[in-house]
Amino acid sequence: MRPGFSPRGDRGGGRGRGGFGDRGGGFGDRGGGRGRGGFGDRGGGRGRGGFGGRGGFRSPDGGGFRGRGGGRGAPRGRGGGRGGFGAGKKVMVEPHRHEGVFICRGKEDALVTRNMVVGESVYGEKRMSVEEGETKIEYRAWNPFRSKLAAAILGGVDQIHIKPGSKVMYLGAASGTTVSHVSDIVGPEGLVYAVEFSHRSGRDLLNVAKKRTNIIPIIEDARHPHKYRMLVGMVDVIFADVAQPDQTRIVALNAHNFLKNGGHFVISIKANCIDSTAPPEAVFASEVKKMSGENMKPQEQLTLEPYERDHAVVVGIYRAPPKDKK
Amino acid sequence: MSSFRKALKSRQRNHHERSQPGFRKHLGLLEKKKDYKLRADDYHKKQNTLSALRKKALDKNPDEFYYKMVNTQLQDGVHVAKKATEEEEITEEQKKVMRTQDIKYVEMKRVAEARKIERMKGELHILEADGKQKNKHTFFVNSKKEVESFDLAKHLNTVPELVDRVFNRPTLKTLETKNIKGAVDPKTMKKLAKQRNHQYKILSQRIDREKKMYVISQKIQTRKDLQDKNKKVKVKKETHTAAAIYKFDTKRKR
Repeated sequence: MRPGFSPRGDRGGGRGRGGFGDRGGGFGDRGGGRGRGGFGDRGGGRGRGGFGGRGGFRSPDGGGFRGRGGGRGAPRGRGGGRGGFGAGKKVMVEPHRHEGVFICRGKEDALVTRNMVVGESVYGEKRMSVEEGETKIEYRAWNPFRSKLAAAILGGVDQIHIKPGSKVMYLGAASGTTVSHVSDIVGPEGLVYAVEFSHRSGRDLLNVAKKRTNIIPIIEDARHPHKYRMLVGMVDVIFADVAQPDQTRIVALNAHNFLKNGGHFVISIKANCIDSTAPPEAVFASEVKKMSGENMKPQEQLTLEPYERDHAVVVGIYRAPPKDKK
Repeated sequence: MSSFRKALKSRQRNHHERSQPGFRKHLGLLEKKKDYKLRADDYHKKQNTLSALRKKALDKNPDEFYYKMVNTQLQDGVHVAKKATEEEEITEEQKKVMRTQDIKYVEMKRVAEARKIERMKGELHILEADGKQKNKHTFFVNSKKEVESFDLAKHLNTVPELVDRVFNRPTLKTLETKNIKGAVDPKTMKKLAKQRNHQYKILSQRIDREKKMYVISQKIQTRKDLQDKNKKVKVKKETHTAAAIYKFDTKRKR
């Protein structure tokens, strides 16, 4: 991992991004400018630009915050000495209500997951490691300003139903930033079927899946689950972040095909994408009503206030009638 | 004969105008012919001027115009030509270029700031800031009875003390089985909390700065737009947080 330009120079055809160091793929912009099908409301063109190819300053012992993607190449203090935080004394990690998720409190104040691929950042996020006796555990920061699921977790959602060993279907995977964290949570025992329609961000998703064996990337339209029915087994939970006017129908279609009885769904709703004229509460209520009509019983609803505006996450349980059972 | 008369004249006493008699001395000097002449000439000259002016005024053309009327101005009672307008220091064109450069610079700084904010937000997730925007959590239950007997701590399977700690309400099982890792002694935790607060302070300052720079670049842009001689109407006044808003007449661009 030497600083410099990535050998994967082919990735950014015409993106003008400059090469990310060989960082395991920086999903800087989550597929700006996707067309219709791409579930594409998630911040195309964020204007992040940067992360020049300098790469971070890798501390020899691999501990601590490595100053990944030092943006404009400013050296980050801390030259030699014991890079990292020695015996993990610079950070406190508390287990979260949801298994596989942690809160990391040090100089930073972050939601983190345990990194499955040690030493790799997926989209330039910060990593922090804690030494526990002999073993070193690495965590990755999970930005709630970019991930609806992270925002819901910090907002105090009761259940996400994603835990180590569970099989998850992720609709609207985009560049795979959140998917990588979900894959951290489910661990090697679990599986994540990541469905994304846009080829552009699908390419980034594939790169994430290369490093993480528990992700199965599916570059297909989630409106047509029969196209990928051969790839997907029964799943325990469906997470959807598709931001389409008919997203409840999309989720229901997939639930009818792949979700086990008594499985759960977690849907992120962006009020603007459903109906930009109605007040957000009314939109959420109408979506919840639609779900009830599809054998999906909502259990809780949570708005994502400090992180997103006019967004809600609805969590519920699915119970298909016997005749729909596959 | 005539010579005789001339000879006589030499004998003759010259005529002298009389002076003021003694008993009228209190009235001052008596005016002599030559004095009168001076006075009268002056008077008539003035009268003539007045009447000439009066005549001129009566004959005046109301539509009369000379460029001097515009190009001169009175200075201490004297008409002086106004300053020539040609010799400005900065032309409109140059002003425009300067403004464009200003905007570019402010924009560059703003984008750099925004990027730093983005990076800081990646690790500072506003877990327990006071005055943070509250979200709304709704639970759907089956019956009215359940609504009445709803207990949040029990529903979430946690201890009542943790109910308000929204970002992490560990379940009873988690509390029993898992433990905190890393820096746990109170002294380090205090130190870390101090560092964390400092980071949050820097973040909020950066956000403020970014907002201000946005306003500045908007204001410069408006000034630049106003330079064009298009028809426009002011819709909203400039405030310290927003640039003025103008409505420009639509014009077909070719």
